[in-house]
Amino acid sequence: MRLEPTMKQMVMRRTVRKFAEEILAPVAAEMDATATFPSEIIQEMAKLQYFGLEIPAHYGGAGLDAVSYAIVIEEISKACAAIGLCISVHNSVSANPIYEFGTEDQRKTFLVPMAKGQAIGTFCLTEPNAGSDVSSIETIAIRDGNGYVLNGNKVFVTNGGMSNVNLIFACTNRSDKQKGYSVFIVESERNGLEKGPTEELMGMRGNPVCPIALDDCRVPVENRLGAEGQGLKIALSSLVGGRIGIASQALGIAQASLDVSLKYAKERYQFGKPLSEFGAIQNYLVNLATRVEGARLLTYRSAYLKDQGLAHTKEAAMAKLYASEVAVDATRIGLQIHGGYGYTKAYPIERYYRDAKACEIYEGTSEIQRLVIARSLGYGRE
Amino acid sequence: MDIVVCIKQVPDVPNIRLDKHRMTIIREGVESIINPLDCVALEAAVDLRERQGGRITVLSMGPPQSEEALREALAFGADQAILLTDPAFGGADTLATSHVLATAISMLKPFPDLVLCGKQTIDSDTGHVGPQIAEELDLPQVCGVNEIHLQGDSLVVKRLYDGFLDTFRVNTPALLTVSQELSSPHHIPLADLERAFSDREIIRWGLKDLSLKPEEVGLGGSATRVWKLHKAAPKRRGEVVTGSPQSLVEHLIRKLEALSILDEENGNE
Repeated sequence: MRLEPTMKQMVMRRTVRKFAEEILAPVAAEMDATATFPSEIIQEMAKLQYFGLEIPAHYGGAGLDAVSYAIVIEEISKACAAIGLCISVHNSVSANPIYEFGTEDQRKTFLVPMAKGQAIGTFCLTEPNAGSDVSSIETIAIRDGNGYVLNGNKVFVTNGGMSNVNLIFACTNRSDKQKGYSVFIVESERNGLEKGPTEELMGMRGNPVCPIALDDCRVPVENRLGAEGQGLKIALSSLVGGRIGIASQALGIAQASLDVSLKYAKERYQFGKPLSEFGAIQNYLVNLATRVEGARLLTYRSAYLKDQGLAHTKEAAMAKLYASEVAVDATRIGLQIHGGYGYTKAYPIERYYRDAKACEIYEGTSEIQRLVIARSLGYGRE
Repeated sequence: MDIVVCIKQVPDVPNIRLDKHRMTIIREGVESIINPLDCVALEAAVDLRERQGGRITVLSMGPPQSEEALREALAFGADQAILLTDPAFGGADTLATSHVLATAISMLKPFPDLVLCGKQTIDSDTGHVGPQIAEELDLPQVCGVNEIHLQGDSLVVKRLYDGFLDTFRVNTPALLTVSQELSSPHHIPLADLERAFSDREIIRWGLKDLSLKPEEVGLGGSATRVWKLHKAAPKRRGEVVTGSPQSLVEHLIRKLEALSILDEENGNE
């Protein structure tokens, strides 16, 4: 059982960390303050294949394995969680499904520009009345001649405000709960797709999350991803990879919080000594460091299993669940260690605190992850 | 233009451990990087190749784990990577190291037009190897270059030395050592990194491949021995001056001018 990164993975981490520290970290605070995502960042990252991480090189991607992918997301998220979110969602649940389930034509038309960062992707699943309860979605796609007509409303679409390619999850057969859903690739400029105003978020504010409405949106059959009725399978399989991405993102946020808190505790003196010499503070940091290490092992093990072609649904759910909760705790306790200064924007910890919370909610809430894990343990209904 | 870049894998952290017997740095267990000035040299090579065409060969003498640095150099843009590795090379001082590197360079066909090295490494800081290679190969050398221009068949290079900017015209083949200001290493594309580790080959040459004798290399081939290596305790020297704010400011300005931090005429940096 090998638990150490390979030579390549170590160099990968160093390379991405250098890029993240020099190019991404300096813009993180401003992105959060102004709730904007600079297009120059997209261009810089596109040149280096950050938008095609697991996509093979002949489609314009980097062709990375899952462990390397997790490393990239972690290091980016350490510098800027909003950028980490963009990259994770674009790769895991938008580009990768097109690669896995798309025809060669769809790969050429959509995947290649996405891998090159010329087109940004989204995955539109959630609706006003359907969050965890995916089967309650009301977006409907009716077959009409050589295409489909889509009607519905999607909300909380990550990357929505800057996307070009949107994967829309719609109902194609109301009476079939298992095979009644399909996925459609809908370009942002297509008639009948309308983007709403960007949400005012608590954290990850640099990411333009917005609603997308479909109003008699006509798409050709060539834009359907996979077979009619394959939607649930596509969504669930993409979400497993997405969980590894979010676990890595949460891990990055947790590690960033731990790093700044360790540093602050050494520099801040009260009662004649640094905070790091007080048992209470040491215990906070020790507990956090241990839990971050646990989150790290869970995350990288689930990525490792994916690379080996082994089942990893349970492990990915555990990683996402655990890492997101560790991130929330690390940022909360980290802010406490920073005291009054932590409550100001002069230190990044308050941004990490606001960013971390989303990790417990999106790509399957912690409650849903627990359901998934319960089922893998033989509990809960099948 | 055929360019050779010599790189060294060095430890990344300040807390290095010593092998007290060989008086060398223990590299295992410590994360290693390409010496930062060697990355500047690589960037300069990539830039020259873009302007002139040609090939970049990257060379390194080191233990087997130096392969990591060479693969990173391939991802950076080198066309070919050669690892000079042999247990006999261990414990080499700069002379023995440069002898191995010079021998390898002389075996390349064709002989390179330009050899680029970082001015110095962050672990040993000697700055010896570039000049020693140049001497052994009888190449003209300029050290600490911060600009390189092509002019016909020769190079016009500049370097900053003691506050003066020197300009040299150098005929190729030549050796240059580079300083930080020459270029900013680009960020490595991830696809290139992936390919460097999965598809590319590292050539390995040992003692026999270089037709060298054991007494020419390693500890035996070294002209110097490290007597002692210990962490230096930094000595802080300061000056405490008292007086009125006006007199203190005048005193400070005079001090900064004397250190050439302030320009005497303009009072600016």
